[in-house]
Order: sequence, then C-alpha cells, then structure tokens
Amino acid sequence: MGRGYIVEDVVEKYLSNLSVPGASCVTGLLIGQSSSQRDFVVLAVRTPQKDTEGQRSPSVSRRTGDSLEHLDVEWVTEHARQVSRMLPGGISVIGVFLVTPPELSKEAQNTLRRLIFAVDKHISKGRLWSLTEEDVTEKVTLHICSKTRKVVCRTFDVRDPKSSAKPADWKYQSGVCTSWPLLTCSVGLNLVFPVLEMHVLPQDMEKCMKEGLQTWAKQIEDGLCLINGDAMPGEVELLGGQKKNAKAVQQTFRAQILIPMAEPQSERRSTASVKVCSGSLTLKGMVQCRAYLHSNKPRAKHATEVIKRDVINTVSSRVEMFLEDLLMEGEDKGSVGVQQGLPRRVFAPVPGMSLCVCDYMFPDECVSDVSDRLKEMLDWETPEDSIDTSQEAVPEAPTIDLKNTVVQKKLKAKSTLDARPKTPSGDPTEAHKSHKTYYAGVAMAAAIALLATGTSLIYLSD
Amino acid sequence: MVVGNIILRLRGSLEFKCQLDSTDVPHVQKVISRTFEALGSQVKAESLVLSLSSSPVFLWPNKGGHATAGEISPNRPCKDLQQLIQTDDQESSRKKSAKKDLKNPTAGIINLTLMTEVTEPGVHSAPTLLRGSKKHHLLQTTLPMDCVVSVLSSESISVVCGTLVGALCSQLGDMEKVALRHMKGTALLIPQPFHFLLPAPVGLVTVVYPAGVPDSQLETRRKELHSLFELPDNRPYLRRANALHFPDEPYKDGYLRNPHVHLNHPALENGKPYLVQGVYSYHHYMQDRVDDNGWGCAYRSLQTICSWFQQQGYVERAVPSHKEIQQALVEVGDKQVSFLGSRQWIGSIEVAAVLDQLLGVTSKIMFVSQGSELASKGRELANHFLSEGTPIMIGGGVLAHTILGVAWSETTGQIRYLILDPHYTGAEDLQVITDKGWCGWKGPEFWDQNAYYNLCLPQRPKTI
Repeated sequence: MGRGYIVEDVVEKYLSNLSVPGASCVTGLLIGQSSSQRDFVVLAVRTPQKDTEGQRSPSVSRRTGDSLEHLDVEWVTEHARQVSRMLPGGISVIGVFLVTPPELSKEAQNTLRRLIFAVDKHISKGRLWSLTEEDVTEKVTLHICSKTRKVVCRTFDVRDPKSSAKPADWKYQSGVCTSWPLLTCSVGLNLVFPVLEMHVLPQDMEKCMKEGLQTWAKQIEDGLCLINGDAMPGEVELLGGQKKNAKAVQQTFRAQILIPMAEPQSERRSTASVKVCSGSLTLKGMVQCRAYLHSNKPRAKHATEVIKRDVINTVSSRVEMFLEDLLMEGEDKGSVGVQQGLPRRVFAPVPGMSLCVCDYMFPDECVSDVSDRLKEMLDWETPEDSIDTSQEAVPEAPTIDLKNTVVQKKLKAKSTLDARPKTPSGDPTEAHKSHKTYYAGVAMAAAIALLATGTSLIYLSD
Repeated sequence: MVVGNIILRLRGSLEFKCQLDSTDVPHVQKVISRTFEALGSQVKAESLVLSLSSSPVFLWPNKGGHATAGEISPNRPCKDLQQLIQTDDQESSRKKSAKKDLKNPTAGIINLTLMTEVTEPGVHSAPTLLRGSKKHHLLQTTLPMDCVVSVLSSESISVVCGTLVGALCSQLGDMEKVALRHMKGTALLIPQPFHFLLPAPVGLVTVVYPAGVPDSQLETRRKELHSLFELPDNRPYLRRANALHFPDEPYKDGYLRNPHVHLNHPALENGKPYLVQGVYSYHHYMQDRVDDNGWGCAYRSLQTICSWFQQQGYVERAVPSHKEIQQALVEVGDKQVSFLGSRQWIGSIEVAAVLDQLLGVTSKIMFVSQGSELASKGRELANHFLSEGTPIMIGGGVLAHTILGVAWSETTGQIRYLILDPHYTGAEDLQVITDKGWCGWKGPEFWDQNAYYNLCLPQRPKTI
C-alpha cells in the first residue's frame, strides 16, 4: 500500500500558476511533514533561477529534448539545503517536483529519482542528530505535465539506493495545517570548546566547533523534555484533550529540556585530565526554537523529538553559516578576542497559513535583506513589518573593532547561493549594503574630524 | 537517628573546567578557586533542577521549590515527596522489610539527582562566538557531588530545597579545600565525598577525600577530624571503608551482610545480648566456585573474620582465598609446602597465624578442655564483644564455627550463642539462612560436651 499525501490547497494553486514557458522544465521542492500514518505537504517552492551570464541556465532551458540532462542537480540540492535552514522543527523538505512538457514525461521519472536522492543526501550533511527507526525515510516525487497538468506521484525510500518507485496518493485539502500544534522554547548556550595545540585556527575552527557541538547535540538528544511543565510518557497523545468535532485551533506548547549537569566520568581517573591548548572558542547566548507537529494523533515522543531537533539544527545552522562566511570573506585579523555575533533568528509568517518560517540575520543585515531572501528562496512576498525580529535580542557587547573600521565590514552575499562563485552583477542587496557601509563610513569620518577639530581648538586656545 | 526526620540524598556530576595560562602556583590556585566560585553560582542558578528518583517529579530549588507534578506545591511537607516515589512490584515485602529496617536509620531515603534546564537561559541575547588565542592548559573533570541532609519530615519543600542547595555549596567549599591542599603542578586530584554515621550525638557527616591518596596517607586529616568530632583515637571511624552503606545500594560482590540483624534476640531473665560490632560478610561452603564441602569450615570462618577487618577499614586487602590462606601458612613456617592445594583442615591457631601474617592482626586464644565449660564463659565472651566486637572463630571436635555474639544472664547463668555456620552449601538466600538456623541463636547443648575447643578472638589494632 502506498503512502498518502495530504496537500494544502495553496500548493495546487502555486503549481498551477507556475509560469512554464513553452517546452521548458521547472524543478522545485515540496515541504511538509511525514508521520507513520500520513504525510502532509504545505508548501511548494520552485528552484530559483541562476543568473544567466553565459552560463547555462538549467531551470529555464531554451532547448527542448535534452533539457533534463543539463539539469543542474547541484543547484537544486543547494536550494534545498538553504531552504531547510529556513524551516522550523518538524517541517522539512520531503520531496521534489518536476514540471516537464509531455514528451519528457518518461525521462522525468529518472530525473526525479536522481534529484530526490541527491537532495536528501545534501540536506542530511552536517546533521548533528541521528534518525531513529521511527523516522519515515520515504520521500515524494511529483511529476506534472505542463500541457495536461496531470500529476504523477511516487515515493522512494532514500535509505535504500536500490529502491524503486512506489505509487502514492496526492490529495488536495484546505486547512491542512491550521491546527498543527506549535512547540516553543528558548535554549541558553554556554559552551567552551578547547582548541587543542595541534589545531591551527582558522583552518581547524570548523573541526573544533563540530566536535564540541556533536557532544552538546548528544546531550540535547538524550535529554528529558517536559511539555507544558509535564513529563509525559512518550506514547501519550499530545492533543488527547481535544473533543472530536471541536473547532480546530492551533495550540502552543511550551517545551523544557532537562539534561544532567555533567556526564559522570567513564574512566576511573583520580586526577583531572590536562590538555595543552592553543586557544578556545566560546559560544554564548540564547536561541529561540520552534517546531510544528501534525494533527494526526501526534504523541508526546514526537513532540520532544521535533523540538529537540530544532534546537540542534538552529545552533548548527548558525555556526555553519558563520564559518561559511568566514571562509568566503577570509580571515579577519581583528576577530580574535572580540565577541562576534552569530546570525540571529527571525521569524516570518507563511502567507495564508498559521505556520512560520525562519531566517538568520547577520549583525550587519537588516529586515529588508530577510525579505529579499524569503522572496528568492521561498518565492513569496513578505511585508517587512510582518517579520518578527524580537525573539532574539541583539547582543549588548559592542562587536565593532574600531581598528578595522566599518568600511572593511564584510559584504555578505547571502542571497547568492554560497556554493556558487559570486556573480559580479550581484544582487540588489549587495549594492544596498555598500550604501550602508559607505554612509556609516562617512559618519565615522565626520565624527573623527569633529573630534580632531575640537582637540586642536583646545590646544590653540591655550 | 532522630525520629520524625527524613534523609534526602542528592547526587550528580558537576563539570569542572578551567584554563591555566601559566603553571605557577599562585595563579593556579586563583584559577581553581574562581572555577569553584563559578560552580557555586551555577548551583544557585534558576536553571538548577532536582530530579526525584523513580518518579516523574522535578523540583526547581532556586525558584522557591516549584515542582512539575501539580500536587506538590512548595509549602507542602517534604514527606509528601515519599508518596510520589514509585516502588516496584514487591511493595508488600518491601513494607515488611521497611518495618524491620526502622532500626536502620537510613531506611526510607529520598534520592535526588542534579540536572539543569537548558531552556532556562541566563542570557537573552542571540549567540556570540568569542575566539581566545592564549596558550593554556585545560583542566577538565567531573566532580562527584553527593550530599546528604537530614530534615524534619514536616519541613516544607521550599525550605528543604534551600537546605539542599546549601549542602551543595558547602560541599563545593570542602572540595575546593581538598583540591588546593593536594594539588601538584597541574595535577588536580578529584575530591570525593564519603558519608559516615558517627556515634551520637554527631550522627551523619560527610568528609571529602582526594582520589588516589590511600587511607594510610590521610592519617593526619583523620586525626584532625577525630578530635573535631570527639571520637576515640584508637579505632577507625573515618576510613573510606567505614563509609555508610545506604540500604538502597546493593553490594556488588553478592555476599550477604550481617544476616544476624534480621533475627529476634533471645530474651533472658536479667540478661542481654552482646553482639559483633560493625559489618561482616557471610562466607560459607561452596562459595567462589570452591568446593570445600567437608573440609573448609575453618577457612570460611577465617574469611568472615577477614571481611570484618576489611569493612571496618583496618585493611585494604581483599578477603583471602583458600589458596592464599594456605600460602600464608607455608610462609610462616606453620605448614610444609605439601600443604598447598590440599584439603587439610585448619584450627584456631592457624587462623590466628594467618590473621597475623596477612592482616597484621593479633588474636587471643581461649582454650576449653570440655565443651561443657563454654557455658561458663559468658562474661569473657561478653567482654570481648564489648571491647573488641570482632567475630570469634571456634574450632573443636570436628567442626569450626563463627560466634557473632552471646546472650548471657549474670544472675541465672543462662547463656545463648549467636552462631554463623560456615557449613551451609546453598545460595545467598537470607530467608533460608535465618529460617533454617544457619545464622541463629544456639544453646549450650550446641557444643560437643566432651570435646575440647579452641577459640580465636581477634583483637582490634589500636589505630584510626
């Protein structure tokens, strides 16, 4: 028996409104949740176009017949990875779709297969938590014929490279996620990772942080989770209290995670261990976490799983982004000994649904950058005032090192997908940023000039 | 042990981590002290959570004793916590033994574990990363916290929480002192807490000793504590082996401890029982996969005596095997080499020789030419149990036994002997052992009235 996908109406609308000129192909992601009994799809997002600059533009192909072969799988998977970072706990990329003209329908199946395996592999990289036996490893592929709009839905078990396609149901429904329960918590971090003598920063920074974070992630995974202050046994139904025909309302649950203060030593030592280190990395602050569950009899154990995974993901995503940025911009000598702000999580509502997605703002970015990114990654407009930046406060300690004045500040090209080389035409936000820094630089210079004049006046008056 | 009191035991690990920029002593001491101070703050933080073992209850002691379970509010008496602890299936038999354990002052302990709530953030701003580039030594270990407090069962939960946090802080202080006292360079010895039940009026105390330092090197410290607690200076109370054994922690070696406490003592007119002091293990035929049925009774009695000296902290060596006992006798010249591996019996004299050779313990030998004379040895035996309190090995006729106590009336001359019989070949079943009299009170007719007997009365070394 195949899986059954319950899909939001808006997805149908989105897919039917996709502009697919002539004989071109469009790829995209399917976002939702899978449970053992049912699967839900709440969003569909097309793969954003790459800049056409003499490079082949895979998603909008002008050639017929062989467009599928030139499909840039890497581009699709990278989009999937970036989108995954924007999804709260419980919600993930669970499939891909492909719109092709009728003559490519047959080939499309192979392409979809390649895509779904590649996407799953790429988004699982760097994951700090482990899948359990209960996790659903079937992912969905959807083929849409651009002419007839006929939909073929199949699933693959991405754990098994030899798995074959299984047919699945694709059913549209309204209000799929209106009553999806929401779990929230804020987690404090105070982690110190030693940098052993043999390691050299900044090259080994990633290694040191990854090792440290792995230990921390295990503590979170093994930790105890209270829901609304209660240690519920795993099999208890979360929404058990609701009457059958009661109006579906989204409930919010507060999660608390308790871990032992430390793990007792495994080896029988009588002295403290001593390691020679060349430095340390201290990660401090608070992260805001959110996770959604489906409404099909979710149990307490699912709830604790999704919120814990969001906790782990949000920390590892930010660290990854920070390190990627560092790699791209090169080592900033002034960053040693200075507290550098990691990207801050902000939330934005999904239009027409009671769900939120999130994004990360670097210290020198602003809300309009987030809005631009949401447009590019998720293909919808978000009014700036609907973006909630209040969940995580800006760190108080000044992060500007006056030596390397603001002019040198990194230009973050967040909207260009990091795996690709930067395109010089760039994005509008880059120009915007340089404006920002320019003005700031002018202000700084003016202030210094004023100070200088002031001092000199004092001298002269003597 | 004050009636109406409850004992709470809080255990957990605290991570001790510090960076030493240099290895000169004043700097190291400063950093260690600062790290302990930081741990003290952690323990007083709102994120500290105490988990009530075997229950779904969690307490936040630094938030006024707020708890998860709805029925428990901070001003309820702490004895209510006991009702929430889930016991296992044999609840009825547990209740039965709980009654008997009223003699044991630590029955009915409430166990708690240290946890922290990561979702109670001290900071509220987004994360930052700080890169430090100073070369340093990183010291890392976990501190094995173990606090015991005794409180009135009517005391409110919020007050008890405060007491527990206070106990944690003061234990950290003790640990800091021990760590600094025994520190050498960058080698930090891990401070370990031990609980001791000292004679009234002192009661329960906790002492922190550095790991890896044997008792023999800690005599000065023990002398300080003996004078602080006004303990006699000729017997050990504060060696690690004297540490209180909590009833909910089974002995891992599988031997029964003090089976005699489960017996009812004979009521003699104007008489009273005089019993072995402290803790011993019951050693008998067929244990340790050694088939000594028919010849090893004296060896087993000797093992019981050795176990007593080990558990009272006089020696650190383990209870000797039959082989080791025979080896010791060959070494002192008492037996020929051919004795090794044989099934030859030994008597009280040999027992005394082995105690001396392996444990450095001297013994008094008592001789009776006829078993009937034992009936008149009440006073002597009673005095032995009063002053030395060690188990006695008695050999005569063709049998060896262990005497654990005597009940004797000065006026009527009635006498009973508490006997631990090494001839038992069954499993470590307390019920069988007490019901069938393998550990039990016997009358003077128990002895062969015509045989002669030798008794080995081990003497306590005068040491702390």
